[in-house]
Amino acid sequence: MSKTQEQKPKRQLAKSMIMVNEQTAKVYAEAREAAEKGEPIGWSTAIFPQELCETFGIPLVYPENNAAAVSARHLGGQFISHAEGEMRYPINICSYARLNIGMADKITQPGWEKVEPAMPVPTFLTLANNSCTQLMKWYENLSRNLDIPIFFVDCLYNYYEEEPAPHKVKYVRNQIENTIKKMEEFFGKKFDWDKFLEVQKISQINRIMFNEIVSLNSRKPAPMNGFDLFNYMSSLVLCRGKESTTRILEQLKKEIEEHIANGTSTYGSKPEQYRVHWEGIACWPNLGYNLKTLKKYDVNCVMNGYVTAWDVAYEPGDMDGMAKAYQTSSTNSFSTPSIMEKRTESIEKFSCDGMLCHVNRSCKLMTFHIFVGRDIIEEKAKIPTTNFDGDQSDTRVFSEAQFETRLQGLVEVMKANKEAK
Amino acid sequence: MSDINVLISKFDFIANNPKEVIDKYIAEGKKIIGCFPVYTPQPLVTAAGMVPMGMWGGQITPTVAAKYNPIFTCSIMRSCLEFGMTGIFDQMSAVMMPMLCDTFRGMSSAWRAGVKNIPLISFIHPQNRTDSGALEFLIDEYKSVQEKLEAIAGVKITDATLSATLDLYNTKNLVMREFCDVANDHLDIITPVVRHNVMKSATFLEISETIDMVKELINELRNQQICKWTGKKVILTGITAEPEEFLKIFEENKIAVVGDDLAQETRQYRTDYPSGNSAIERLAANWMELKGCSMAHETDHTIRGQMLVDMAKNKGADCIAICLMRFCDVEEYEYPYISKMAEEAGLYSLCLEIDQSTQDNGQSRTKIQSYAEI
Repeated sequence: MSKTQEQKPKRQLAKSMIMVNEQTAKVYAEAREAAEKGEPIGWSTAIFPQELCETFGIPLVYPENNAAAVSARHLGGQFISHAEGEMRYPINICSYARLNIGMADKITQPGWEKVEPAMPVPTFLTLANNSCTQLMKWYENLSRNLDIPIFFVDCLYNYYEEEPAPHKVKYVRNQIENTIKKMEEFFGKKFDWDKFLEVQKISQINRIMFNEIVSLNSRKPAPMNGFDLFNYMSSLVLCRGKESTTRILEQLKKEIEEHIANGTSTYGSKPEQYRVHWEGIACWPNLGYNLKTLKKYDVNCVMNGYVTAWDVAYEPGDMDGMAKAYQTSSTNSFSTPSIMEKRTESIEKFSCDGMLCHVNRSCKLMTFHIFVGRDIIEEKAKIPTTNFDGDQSDTRVFSEAQFETRLQGLVEVMKANKEAK
Repeated sequence: MSDINVLISKFDFIANNPKEVIDKYIAEGKKIIGCFPVYTPQPLVTAAGMVPMGMWGGQITPTVAAKYNPIFTCSIMRSCLEFGMTGIFDQMSAVMMPMLCDTFRGMSSAWRAGVKNIPLISFIHPQNRTDSGALEFLIDEYKSVQEKLEAIAGVKITDATLSATLDLYNTKNLVMREFCDVANDHLDIITPVVRHNVMKSATFLEISETIDMVKELINELRNQQICKWTGKKVILTGITAEPEEFLKIFEENKIAVVGDDLAQETRQYRTDYPSGNSAIERLAANWMELKGCSMAHETDHTIRGQMLVDMAKNKGADCIAICLMRFCDVEEYEYPYISKMAEEAGLYSLCLEIDQSTQDNGQSRTKIQSYAEI
């Protein structure tokens, strides 16, 4: 290690980020504690109606979130190898799934060396397939391998550009209500509808506040490095229905407003030259390289569509509204024309000069959106787009050289466009 | 040429020349509705007086489809989009597409972007099939499909017409199952390629034609001397087992196919349309009763594995050949447990990769030869 690197001070974490880390640690600690006591704990897909288990007071942890965290720490390889090797899972399936299925097998074996954040062994699963159908297959495998039940809310897919038809909303609502009944039986607890309403209210406060925070980045220059949103997103995944998230978001908003008042930004002291819309999930194992390279070319990814997936908007007490919201919150719930309409609006709102698309080897539908949608973006939003190959967890797909070359190309076009204005 | 060989040649021609089949129906003034795999409500098409036509792609290396298809799209979808974008499907009045996997979700937008002249009729199956609202939901989805088909055909589908059509489809199911049983007494005639051609033809031909031709073949087979097969016997599972060159490797190694769970083949025929309060309810209830398919969520996650083990044992096979369509997520998630369950039951399991965009069957050849030598 060079002297310069040795002396480089570690960037001080913002208070809001420390609060996120504490919140995450608490979620895992409570889940592990419950597991040790023999109480039920669940593994959940990221956009399942969390309001249900929150009301029951049953801990949930989230494999997608965990896979992202483990991958960002470059610790996912051992689980992926285990899934592909001894467990025979093909390399083509989602890397979150390979990582988590591998981990689920490892943690049930005696003497395994814990990898933080360590997941406790679940006693049940909660599944919503609004992000993709692979989730359903992934959870079927967990259910089979661990011999535990699934609480399933089938969220369908909106293949045309219209609002979800009433029969779709009715089916999803019916499932949510039936899931509550099944959970009452499984947990041996009555569902507290008053508490449920409170959880719904908190969930709405949190998602509205998060939206407001994201919107603050539409200012020029942006008060945040857009990648920060990936980090705060975890509070909405893990604790959307908790007041602790409200406290975090209040603190974060305060910090951003201070940046705005002071003319500073978490992007750093060097001003952003290009504002870019990031499309797709982060390359968690390569986040540091992505960030460094973007900064090298003065690019701030001020906005990304992924973080809007937890904008599950409904009126508390409105079960139809809740059903519709879970059916339509994920990027992958919509047809490409619908999602690109949203992206076009967002590109305009955030004054983006270009779009950087992550062709995520693990996420077919997001990649389809990119392939089918880039013409729509270039035509409607009139900004250049570029793709790069990567993956959310599997380190074998991403190429640093390709990423930088593609970014250079995008910057050249954005520069020419600016000069032409 | 004997009658049976003439008949077998006909199936061969139909399976390998669906375009000729389309031309014939178009010349007869019939409208064609393309049916993406699998579980499209084909009886609605038949009841509306049109012809449902299976869409199974082809052995090509797509080029223009790459504009909308990521390279990790399964080859059936890539070749179907290629055919759509290059005019091969132009005689189709519309195509029906179920949202059974992520590729279909993406393809529904890709098709509309790339093939603007052939309307897409999308619909989605409920996956939470044990939920009390699932049947009613699917009935509503099918009603929406029905309206679109009626508009194309210019006719109204009555409950009576649809109900009679469902009975006809049940007859087809029965005939196809009977063929599979009878075929096993004549494995010298019904080679893996011949068996496949019969099954594939049934996805292109009009239903009454399928029933007549397959019944005729069954009768011809019954007139033949029963063959005592001395070679090995396997069960095939997966989406498809193509192309012909792939199946010929089994033949070359004296291996017979005695049963299958292929989506292109018997998976379509093992569940009948049950009785119900209305024809549309019967149509939808079929999906609720379907078992052992990677595209339909089950609460019993071992049902397919057990079904395959039982099928192999009942038909005297000692191997389950898993024909794994490259980039087919739903099948890839099931491969580990199926292969393990087969081995735990004392059977061999072979994993054979299927990819329409490559002509190279080298790996499969090596694996099949190794199995043959055991």
